[in-house]
This record gives sequence, structure tokens and C-alpha cells, in this order.
Amino acid sequence: MKRGFVIFLFVPMVFMILQSCADEQNFDQFDDLSVEPTLASSIFYFESDEATINLAGPGAFYTQSFTFEAFNESFVAERVLDGVIVYEVENTTSKELAILIEFLDAGGTVLDSESFVVQPEPTPLLERQIAYGNGGRSLDILRNTTNIRVSGDNLGDGTSVSSASEPKIILRSSAEFRLRLR
Amino acid sequence: MKKVTVLMLTIFLGMVTSHAQNKALLYDFYEVPQSLMLNPGVRTPYKWHAGIPLLSGIAVQAGSSGVTVNDLFANDGVDFNTKVREKVLDGLSKNDDFGGSGQIEVFYGGFRNTKRPNDYYSFGMYGEGFIAQFWPRDLAILAFEGNANNLERRFDLNHIATQGEAVNVFHFGVNRKLNNKWTVGLRAKLYSSVFEFKSVRNDGYFVTTQGENNILRNTLVADVTMRTSGIESLFDILNDDDVAQSVELPKWLLGRSLFGGNLGAGVDIGFTHNIGRSSYVTASLLDVGFIYHNNDVKNYTLNGAATNEGVEIVLPEDASNLNADIWQDLIDDFERQIPFETDERAYLSLRPIKLYSSFRYNFGERSLKSKVCDCGIKPNTKTDSFDYLNAVGGQFFMINQPRGPQAAITAFYQRRLGNVLALKTTYTADKYTFSNIGLGLNVQAGPVNFYVLADNLLGYPNLPDSNYASLQFGFNIISWNGN
Repeated sequence: MKRGFVIFLFVPMVFMILQSCADEQNFDQFDDLSVEPTLASSIFYFESDEATINLAGPGAFYTQSFTFEAFNESFVAERVLDGVIVYEVENTTSKELAILIEFLDAGGTVLDSESFVVQPEPTPLLERQIAYGNGGRSLDILRNTTNIRVSGDNLGDGTSVSSASEPKIILRSSAEFRLRLR
Repeated sequence: MKKVTVLMLTIFLGMVTSHAQNKALLYDFYEVPQSLMLNPGVRTPYKWHAGIPLLSGIAVQAGSSGVTVNDLFANDGVDFNTKVREKVLDGLSKNDDFGGSGQIEVFYGGFRNTKRPNDYYSFGMYGEGFIAQFWPRDLAILAFEGNANNLERRFDLNHIATQGEAVNVFHFGVNRKLNNKWTVGLRAKLYSSVFEFKSVRNDGYFVTTQGENNILRNTLVADVTMRTSGIESLFDILNDDDVAQSVELPKWLLGRSLFGGNLGAGVDIGFTHNIGRSSYVTASLLDVGFIYHNNDVKNYTLNGAATNEGVEIVLPEDASNLNADIWQDLIDDFERQIPFETDERAYLSLRPIKLYSSFRYNFGERSLKSKVCDCGIKPNTKTDSFDYLNAVGGQFFMINQPRGPQAAITAFYQRRLGNVLALKTTYTADKYTFSNIGLGLNVQAGPVNFYVLADNLLGYPNLPDSNYASLQFGFNIISWNGN
């Protein structure tokens, strides 16, 4: 009886070990793994009050070129698949204004540009999305961009003052890019 | 090639000389001298024992909670990315872990004091280590999905928890039978750390929200630390093309194993208490100790807080900064606010304390002729130590882990078949599995002792679908009491 109990308990376990086998595995599937996050960040923000614009008078009131190496960082440049840059322009001044954004390479060559002309207030928020890659503009523009130039032009007069509180021209921008990490 | 070398070394150190976790089958299976290592106060029916060097105790264990190899790599025609999404990204939590551990005894022996026959001394050296990687869930989601579609979601940095080590242990223990009711034991240990890396108790988050000025605002708050010792010298060897790695790596391993690395000390304590004619309560506390790391230490920290809304130009304030490098200023500000720093400060590392306890009831026809009583202290004999035919009981195990204590409960049945064979089967429930049935076999062929203990047998028919597997085996030469 006791011997039978032991056999009943232990023999199936040993049998299970001897029966060891496995479902078919295919480790090559790992090669199919795709890791493609979409990363988002603000790019730059430009703001000028109306007094500064009036002080410069009609015509160009600001031009600034600055280093911007977020796109041509090797981590991004080598992995970017496609993306969108979003611009928002808000004008609460009393004059028509133009904002020009230029993407420059290391030699100062303009690779891409985006211009905005906004009417005096009251005017709605101007929104624009520019696609890169996947049917949009070339990704090489971004990969080679090392500088951004921002220019502001006063297309109106240099004396009028908006009735809005704290009248300003504001340009906001952000980018969403899909990267292939694997 | 170097990556392969690192991988091989990691596997070797992680799986062969690695740190043993729950050894439910071995605990209180005192036909096997290695049970002393889990409870210095276990009953010792031996006059002396000697492990076969390098073969007396080999234990390997691997586990993953939440996902199995089969879940991902079964050749089932399901898209691999779908499986990763369902089983890993959606299926695992920050408390799920992947780990491997093991142990190898270099030498191990023991003997009974002829003048004080109730004392049994044991000594030896073994290497052990482990690698435990908790699933960094939030960071994985950030890597797979990005932040664009996760606005307002905090990606917690406290999901980062990883640790691993290889350590060589020298030990000497005393086991004393106080009377027929009590057996107690104490073991002193000296640790020689080969390497350690540890990143636990991290804090902070990354979040993308609507910006105050610009469209988006990225915020990073970080309090992350990784402590390492012994790693730099390893990478120095691996990165040096002018040295023969096949010579230098064993030299490095041997040197750091034999007190050339970082040193520490600890103790094990335990007891066995007879509470009646056939019932026993046991408990042990293992690795109550520390290692002081002051040699080849390198610590990495990321500590601070920063927010970013891109490059900002605000007129008229910035009108005078036309020549300023505002991009570099942005980078510099970020690095100042969240500096990534390294240092070589010494640190103290507590050992992962382990607790075992058990209740055992012996039944069946006893080979013992003597009675258990309080009538005095008398030496063990082989027969009165194996005073059972059957034994049943329960065990409890707990280990201190980065995410807090990790516990397991075990029910066991043990059976002796003559003087040659002893069997133990266990059912264990822990975070890895609720269907862990193990089987231990001890064979005594004259003085030669062989044991093999395997956990989670239900997983063996399809090992890749198993969350947990462990195997221990070894050879000893034993001289029994009364021989």
C-alpha cells in the first residue's frame, strides 16, 4: 500500500521530467520588433510687444539667427521617419505683421522657410502644420538644419497702438516626430 | 566580439556563480549536508562530510513573472509586435521581474567535534550571484509610444529598478544539539564581492503638458542613482585591445573573488525545535550582513528638475542678446538643472536577507527505537536523526528585494525508502507561479551521496512556457553518526 502510494506520487513526476519537450520557438521573430515612438516637444517661441515694433518703425523690426541642433543630432537625424511641425501665430497688435522662419544649414544656405502674414487684431489664431517625410517635405531639410533665422516685419505703421491689453505678436511652434529606435 | 564576451561573462556570473533564491526542496532535507547552508540549526546526522570540490553544490534558477519565452517566441503565426504589445506592454507591471541566480560550491566540508559530540562544524567557500531586472513599465511605454500621444501622463522613474552581483563567500558554522528538543546553529561569513550594480529606490518623472508660453512643456524631475563596484575594471579589460582577455578575465575574476575586491561580513542563524513526539518547528535567517564597497567604485546620478518649452525669444528683453548662443544656453541650463554626475564614493550594501521557517510532522513506522524526551543531551545517531518514514509540513520563505519583501509558501511531503533513498516533493506558491511542484531525490550509495532537486516540474513538459525553473544537484562523501 505504502509502496503503491509512493509510486503513485513520484513516478508521474519523474515521467514528466523525462517527457520534457517544448513548443516550437522562433527567436528570429525578434528581428520583426518595431519600436517607433512619436516624440513631441516645443521648438521655439517668439514674442514681441507692440511698443518694440513701433520703436523700430515700419519694415524689419527683428532678425535673429540662432543655433538649433535638435534635428541634426545624430540620434534624431539617423532615426527620424516622418513628422510634423506645428506653428501658431497670434497677433493682438494694431498692425499687419509678417514673420519669416528659415531653416539654415551649417554654410548658411536656406533649406526651408515658412512665412506668416497676420492681419491686425482682431484676427483669429493662425495655425499651420508642415509635414516632413512620408509625402511631405524632405527629411533632409531637418537633418541638415543647424540654424534657424527668425525675422519680423512690420507691414503697417509705427505709431498706432492696439486697444487690446498687452498687445503682442506671438509665434509658437512644436514638433512631433516619429523615430525608428528599432 | 566584446559584446559577446560581456554577454557570456554576464551569463556565467549571473547564472553559475549567482545568488540563490528560494530553495524550498533543500530546506530541512537534512539527508543532504547542503541543507545546513539554509539552516545552520538543522539536525545533523553526520560524523563528517566532504563535498566533491566544484561538484558538491550547483544551483541555477531563472524566473520571470508575468511573461514567458513561449508567450513571445512561440512559432504561432501571431505578429511579434502584437505579442509584445499584449503580453509585455499591456501585461506587465513595474513589480514584474526577470532574474537569474545560482550558486556553485568550490569546497564544502564538515566534521563532528569528538570531544563535544553535540557540536558539528562546517566550513567552505562558494560563489553566488544574481541578476534581477524589474520591468520599467513607464519607460518602456515611453520608448514604444513616445510622449506625443501621452500628454499629461507622468512616466515614473521609480520604475527603474535593477541589481546584480557576484560574490565569493567564505563561511564557518557551528551546529549544536542543545538537547533532544533544540538544535541551534550559527554561521559566520566573509564576503568578497566580485562586482555589484544596483539602482533601486529611484524617484522622479517625465511629463509633457500644455505649455505656459509655447505649445508644449516637457518636465523632467529626476532622482536616479546607479551604484557600481567592480564594473569599471571589467570594462577596462574588455575595452583594452592590447591585453589577452582569456588571461586577464580569469585573473580579474580570481583576484576579486579572493579578497581582491570589496569585503563584507555576515551571519546566518537558525534552529530546529521539537514540539512533541513527531513535530518540528524550524527557522533560519540568512545573510544578515553587509559589503563595504570602496574599491573600483563608480556611481552615476541624475538629480534635479527642469522644464523646457524650447528656445525662447521675448522682445524687448532679448533684443540686446542678438549674439547670444541661445541654443547652447538652453543645453547648459538643462545640464545645470539636472546634472548627470559620476563619483567614486564608497558605499555600504546590505545583503539580501532571507528568512526560512517550517513546520514538519513525521508519521509512519519509525525506525527509531529511542524516545524523544528532555532527559538530557545525547549525541546524534544516524537512526535517531532519520526518525521518520513520512513527513509532511509547510515552509515559508521571504527575501528582501528592491521592491520590498518577496515571499513564498510551500507545502511538502517527504518519504524515506530504506537507507538509500529519500524523496521530497513540494508545492510552492510565489509571485512567479501558483503551480510549482518540485521533486527532490537523495541517493546514499555507501558513503557517496548524490542529490538532485528540480522545481516547477509542471513547466518541464514545455519549458519555454514556464515562468520559473530551478535545478540543484551535487555529490558529497558522508560518514554517518554511529559508523
